Formats: sequence, C-alpha cells, structure tokens
Amino acid sequence: MSVASLARGAHGELDQLYIETRELRLQGFLLFLVSDCVLFSSFIFAYLYLRNSGQGWPPPGIQRLDVAFAAWNSVVLFGSGATMHYALENFKHGKWMAYMWFLLATIVLGAGFLGGQAYEYNHLIYAEHVTWWGSGIFGASFFTLTGMHGMHVFFGVCYLTVLVLQSSAGVYTRGKYFGITAGTLYWHFVDVIWVVLFSIFYLL
Amino acid sequence: MAVAAVHAGGIADHIHPEPQGFVRRYVFSLDHKIIGIQYIITAFVFFMLAGLLAEAIRTQLLNPGGGFVANGTYNEIYSIHGSTMVWLVTIPLLTGGFGNLVFPIMIGARDVAFPWLNMLSFWIFPVSGLMLFSSFLLGAPTAGWMEYPPVSLQGAAGTSMWCAAIFLVGVSSTMTGINFVVTILKMRAPGMTFTRMPLFVWGQFATAPLLMIATTALAAALAALFIERQFGVPFFDPAKGGSPVMWQHMFWFYSHPAVYIMILPAFGIISEVLPTFARKPIFGYKLIAFSSMSIALLGFMVWAHHMFTSGLAPFLQLPFMILTYVIGVPTGIKIFSWTATLFRGKIHYTTAMLFAIGFIALFTIGGITGIFLAAIPFDLHVHGTYFIVAHLHYVLVGGSLMGIFAGMYYWFPKMSGRLLNETLGKLHFWLFFIGFNLTFLPMHWLGMEGMPREVATYDPQFTFWNRFESFASYLMTFAILIFFFNAIWSIRNGKRAGANPWGARTLEWQIPSPPNYYNFKHVPTVYGLPYDFSTPLPYKGLDEELTDSPPVPAGAH
Repeated sequence: MSVASLARGAHGELDQLYIETRELRLQGFLLFLVSDCVLFSSFIFAYLYLRNSGQGWPPPGIQRLDVAFAAWNSVVLFGSGATMHYALENFKHGKWMAYMWFLLATIVLGAGFLGGQAYEYNHLIYAEHVTWWGSGIFGASFFTLTGMHGMHVFFGVCYLTVLVLQSSAGVYTRGKYFGITAGTLYWHFVDVIWVVLFSIFYLL
Repeated sequence: MAVAAVHAGGIADHIHPEPQGFVRRYVFSLDHKIIGIQYIITAFVFFMLAGLLAEAIRTQLLNPGGGFVANGTYNEIYSIHGSTMVWLVTIPLLTGGFGNLVFPIMIGARDVAFPWLNMLSFWIFPVSGLMLFSSFLLGAPTAGWMEYPPVSLQGAAGTSMWCAAIFLVGVSSTMTGINFVVTILKMRAPGMTFTRMPLFVWGQFATAPLLMIATTALAAALAALFIERQFGVPFFDPAKGGSPVMWQHMFWFYSHPAVYIMILPAFGIISEVLPTFARKPIFGYKLIAFSSMSIALLGFMVWAHHMFTSGLAPFLQLPFMILTYVIGVPTGIKIFSWTATLFRGKIHYTTAMLFAIGFIALFTIGGITGIFLAAIPFDLHVHGTYFIVAHLHYVLVGGSLMGIFAGMYYWFPKMSGRLLNETLGKLHFWLFFIGFNLTFLPMHWLGMEGMPREVATYDPQFTFWNRFESFASYLMTFAILIFFFNAIWSIRNGKRAGANPWGARTLEWQIPSPPNYYNFKHVPTVYGLPYDFSTPLPYKGLDEELTDSPPVPAGAH
C-alpha cells in the first residue's frame, strides 16, 4: 500500500493531485523558512561580531536591558505558540469553534507581544534616552534584529487574521488545510527565533 | 509497482492547460522551457552591456595614463562590469537559464514544482538589472563588485541603488533555488533514482541549496549596507564603532559559495557534453556527482581565504588555507574523470565538444592558480594585483563562460529546433580561445610584478603587456559578435535539427525539438543511467513521443 492510497482511504474527498501538491508546498515552505533563518543568522553573526570587537558590552554609557519585562513579554509570545498549536490540532479533529477561539487567542497574544515591544522601544528611546537605531552599534544591532523579528510577528498576525476570514468563508476543509499548517509552522519559527534573540540580547 | 502507483494520476502526470495568446505563451509564461529561454536572452543582453564595459576598461588601459574615460568613471565601469557579469549573466544563465530549460525534462517531469514562482523569479531579474544599470545616473558604485566599506559608504547614491538591485536579484535566485530543490526531490519520473539522474541534474541539485542559503546571507549584508548608507545606522563605519572587516566576512560567506554557484552547473554541462561526443559512458559517475555535493558543502567553510590581508587572526588563517586545499581534491577528481572519459573515446569534434575540451584546459589553469592563492605567503604577495584578475577570469570565463557556450551549442537545437552553424561556431571557438588566453595569460606576470587591480592608470613599465592584452581582448569581442550573429542567423536559417541531432541519451533528446509544452505524452519509466552508449535506451513509455498522438492527461492510466 502506498502512502497516497492510505491517505485517499482516510479522506474520501481527496484526490491524488492534491496530496502531492500539498507535499510540494510543505517542502517549499520549509525551505523558505531555512533561508529566512539564514537571514537572521547573518544579522546575529553581525551582532556577536560587533559585540566582541569593541570595549566590552554593553558599550560605555548604556544600561543593560531590562530582563524582567522582556521575560514577561516572551511568555506572552510562547503562550501564543501554544494556542496556535492547539488551533491546528483542533482543526485537524474537526472542532471548528475551538479552532477559531485558539486562533483568535493567538492573534491577541501576538498583538500583545508587539505592544510590549513598542512599550520597550519607547522606554529605551525616550524615557531613558539610552539609544536609538543610528546612535551606535548597540542600537544598530538591537533595533535591527528585534525590529526584523517584530516585522515577522506583525506579518504573522496579519496572516492569521486572513486565516480567520478565510476560515469563516469556508476556504479550508478537513482534507485541505495547507494554509493553516503553513501559518502554524511560520508562527513556531518566529517563536524559536525569539528564544535565540532573547538569550543573546537579554541573558548573555 | 508501489512507486508507479503513487505517480499515476498525481503531480508527475499532471498537465497544465495549454496557454492561449501571445502574452500567456511567451511573456508571462508558466512553462519552464519558455522561462529558461527568457532567462538566456535577457542574460545575454546584459552580457553584451557588461562586455562593452569590459572593452571600455581595456581601452582605458591602452595607455599608462589612461585618458579614455575619467578616472572616477573608470571605477564605476569596472564595478558595474563585475556586478553584472556575476549576478546578471553567469548565475542567471547557469541556474535560471539552462537549469530551467533542461533539468525538469531530464528528470522526466512535466514542469517545475512551482511554475508561478518560477515566472516571478524570472520577472524580478530584468527589473533588478535595469536598477543596476540605472545606478549610473545616480553615480554608480566605485568599490568593485565586492563594495568594501568604507569606500562603499562614501560613494554616491548609486551605491544604494546597487544594494537594492543585487538584493532583488538575490530574492529571485533564492526562489529559483527553493523551486529546483523541491522539483528534484519530489518530481522525478518513476525509476529516476538519485543514482540514475544525469550529471547536469546533479550539478543543479548541488547548486540550488547554495542559491537558497548563501544568497540570503548576502541579502543580510546588503540590507545592512543599505540601512547604514541611508539611515546612518552603524554596522561597518569604524568611526562609529562598526567594523569594515565584518562586511568582508558577510560578503565572502556568500560570495565564495557564489563561485561554486557559477561553476557547478557548468561542471554539469561538461559532464553531459563529454560522454555524448566521446560516445563513451562517463567515467566515475558517482564520484562526479558526490564531488559536486562535497564542493558545495566545503564552499561554506573557506570564505576567509579572501581576507588573508585583512587582519584575520593567525589561528584562523591556517584552517582556512587547509580547507581551501581540500577543495582541490573533489575538483581534481572531476578533472581526472573527464579526462578518463575522453581516453580512447570516439571523439566527435563538434563546437560544443571543442568548448568542453577548452573548458577542461582553461578551468584547470584557473583552478591551479586558485591553489597558489590559497597559500598564505603567496597570497600576501599577489593580493589585490592583476594575478587575481587573471585567476578569476580563468575560472569564470575559462570555466563558467566556456561551459555556457558549450551548453548553447549543445542545447540550441532543443530550444529552437535548428542547429547553430558549425563553421561559424568553430571560428567563434578558436578566436575566443586564442583571444582569451592572449588577454588573460600575461596578467599573471603583470600581477606577480605588482601591477594593482582596479586602478585607472599604471606604471609605464607595464605598457607593452597592457596594450597586448587590450588588442587581444578586441579579438575576443569579435569572436563573441560572431556567436551573436550565428545565433540570430540560425534561428531562421539553421539546419533543421530533428529530435536528437547529437545521438545523446538523456531524456530531453527523446522528445521533439522544440518540445511540446507538456514535455512528455506519457511520463516515462527509467531503468538505468543515460550514459551506456552500447546498450538500448533505459526508458519505457516514450514510443509515442515523436508521433502525432495527443498527450495523456492527469488521472488516465
């Protein structure tokens, strides 16, 4: 028995073409995430390089970043990873209402993370007059990397909102839901990137 | 028959609806063959422009004091020449061009995995090319194709345009890479196992991950340079605590693999042309395939050998030197395998074969000077001199471009249905081969004597060889004009080729020239390697390809 015919047995409405198209898309999407990961890695390399080339870190006149606030904000983001996981699982098991609630929770938590980040930026730039993007290598590496990550979260929130609209319109069925799988993978990817960024900016 | 059952009626058997109308067919086409031809034509247009810039460089160097163009303009000219030749000519020709044109047919697929993404990749490419050339209007970059800071930070606005253009063409390359990896992994015909894939497909399979991974690293470097120039965010400016050497790390982490992006597909072309015209199985099939993969892997571990004079820590220099030597091993394996393929073969000296043999000779010279340059003491002596210019042109012109010409003469009949004229082709080869060597061989000793590259004037003691090289380079340009004339003339007046003018055995030659948009009427089943010239073809299901019968659509068994 081939994989394809097993899948056909489980979901009668599926055709062979769709199964293979989904496999292609999944693989293509994973490769996209790999190349996106390289983009982050290059900037992380730049940050570590600059960090080790100067006179200690943080550079003179700059406070260490506030770990406590960022840690709470991270909890919000990781929480959204968990809700996204349950959204996908519920969809797979046909629990449509639970899926929608978990998806909406993910959007709220993701937006909450962005709000927290905006608060932190505001605090660093205006309240403490510490630094801004162009004022030194600290600002350059911190705002570029966390800003890039923030953009990823922002695009993710937009995409998940589109998912809500599409799901209400009945675009996804029990057999055809690659859009939701891709959203979940992307969201977990953004989470993992944040684990690394949090470690190297706040803990290191 | 589990494998065949999966494919029957699935993606491998799927036939896209035939496109209607000129725009859908030839402009915004989803057909990988048309996209490949679009890539080839566009890249050759950029090749002509960059060739004109090269002749401007050589004309300036006729006299020690220059005088053809202003010194600042000279800097802009060689920067755009290098950038164009690397990003708009060689890489698009070898991956998007020849890759798209033939590798899906070679693995028995009806298209690539994501045709729409393929079309998008192509259309980004001419746009970014126009952006790159429009940087002349804003004051083009002046720091060479490497754009080292701090010079690139001080350049006119065109440098930012350069960053944006190269970033965009990188996005196009990344999408092509993803597309090709998925196509090769998922869309091979039944029986087309990895160890039965033609070596051109192996070349693309080794290149595509480099396109996908290394190009993104370059994108990061370009983005950093762009935002530093536009918004004053310090990454590379030492006055603000940044590091210019960091650019060199980020740039070469891409650009050394980029060297292999430009040569691995050419290796693939040579590995198809040699057995076909020697009428012999390729020697060391598996070794050639796996050495491509190991070159691709090692390519990520040697970038700092471009930076021996940049204050690299001594404990880092030695490993980079040794790893660079290690790359010589898989490359040597290939050279020996090709030579052994020729040994006692029944060699047909077609133009494609001449270019392939010329490739082996010139690439070996370029490779060996590469081994010289890996040696730190020697590199310290010739770094930034014309020795480097000679080395890189032996690899990129003697290697990649000779491979491209071999591929053009070999696959032109498959593209157009007509053969290129062989007499003009041989004239092209000999004039090009002689002109190339006369231009670039003397650069080795100019470099050893210390003539610096990327400078608009030079010491009068180097006058003789510079004039000699300039006149030889005009010969090379004349040879290329013959090629363009030949290509344009042969599209209408060339000899009709038929399906398989060379008696080659890979799948693309078993279907009509030019192929139908669906490639295969039935997706074939593959039973062996395509290189055993004494045995019957190892394919089943191709009986109706050259008849008038209709294709078999998806779902029919």
